Amino acid sequence: MSAKNTWKLHRWSTILLLPLVAFLFIKIIHLSALPYQLILSEFSNLWGVGFILIFTVLGLIHMNTGVHEILDDYVHSDVVKKILNLIISIFFLLILIFVCLSLLLIFIG
Amino acid sequence: MVQFNLPDNSKLTDGDYYKSEKSTGNTKKFKIYRWSPDDSKNPRMDTYEVDLDDCGPMVLDAVMKIKSEIDTSLTFRRSCREGICGSCAMNIDGTNTLACTKAISDVKGDIKIYPLPHMPVIKDLVTNLKTLYKQLKSIKPWLMNNKQNANDTENIQSRNDREKLDGLYECILCACCSTSCPSYWWNSDKYLGPAVLLQSYRWLQDSRDEERKERLKELDDTFKVYRCHTIMNCTQACPKGLNPAKAIAGIKQMIAQQ
Repeated sequence: MSAKNTWKLHRWSTILLLPLVAFLFIKIIHLSALPYQLILSEFSNLWGVGFILIFTVLGLIHMNTGVHEILDDYVHSDVVKKILNLIISIFFLLILIFVCLSLLLIFIG
Repeated sequence: MVQFNLPDNSKLTDGDYYKSEKSTGNTKKFKIYRWSPDDSKNPRMDTYEVDLDDCGPMVLDAVMKIKSEIDTSLTFRRSCREGICGSCAMNIDGTNTLACTKAISDVKGDIKIYPLPHMPVIKDLVTNLKTLYKQLKSIKPWLMNNKQNANDTENIQSRNDREKLDGLYECILCACCSTSCPSYWWNSDKYLGPAVLLQSYRWLQDSRDEERKERLKELDDTFKVYRCHTIMNCTQACPKGLNPAKAIAGIKQMIAQQ
């Protein structure tokens, strides 16, 4: 991806995440007063699953581009940078798999 | 990796103390960074007492007085002494600025003077600006217009177009901004830095220039522009009151719109 597109992606993900983070905060406050079963039911509908998935994917894109920026800033060795990039990509992939599996478990009850 | 600590041969030591011969009571201590490539000694901070009743009002006046009356070995650049040439850029009281436009009275207590940060030191307060000039050359800081002016007519620019260059053409390339930028410290070999990017934006904004697309294409690189993280040290440091951070934001916008 070109430098311009990476920069755009980082900025757009920031803008899109702002309302999502605000909504999540409100949702967490709302959910904290509910019993466990009701919380599960909140996430077992399509809206809940969709929101969590979109939030996770956008958050991971934002984190990924952000971490790459930090690596570009401070890590000057190309080999070290490649290794760190690989580790980070695996880490983010594991987070995505974990979130998807969790949602699947909640969804199928 | 980025080097966060100074190497052993760069660690500062206490230097000589030059007491003022005349003690009128109105003296100020100038602590100045000294290093010479001629010996293998570490850099040191020499202290000079300067009688302010017998000295001009600016830091450069004091530094010149030190050189001519106290220690002739002190090395620094200077030329116009009125903020036009940018030669006397140095780190005074923790800020990169021009010694000729910085008043002694603006600094409380002792005045500490260092060379521009994170630049290779040639001697004392003189730094090597070769990389900066090479980067300046890379952005082609001249008007590129391939139109043949067969009739030798004037290349007219509207008043509005001319106004777009205000706040850009005034840059004197003193390097105060670039050397105050942490991103430039870490990646000065690849990141162009605020001074050069301000110059680049000056040519991108010029209505008479025909190579805007090519210039933007050259800049669309992970390191050349995008190492700017809007820290704003450049704008804070600029002794001419310019805003390189805004110029860099302008370049990013132009690249994004392309």
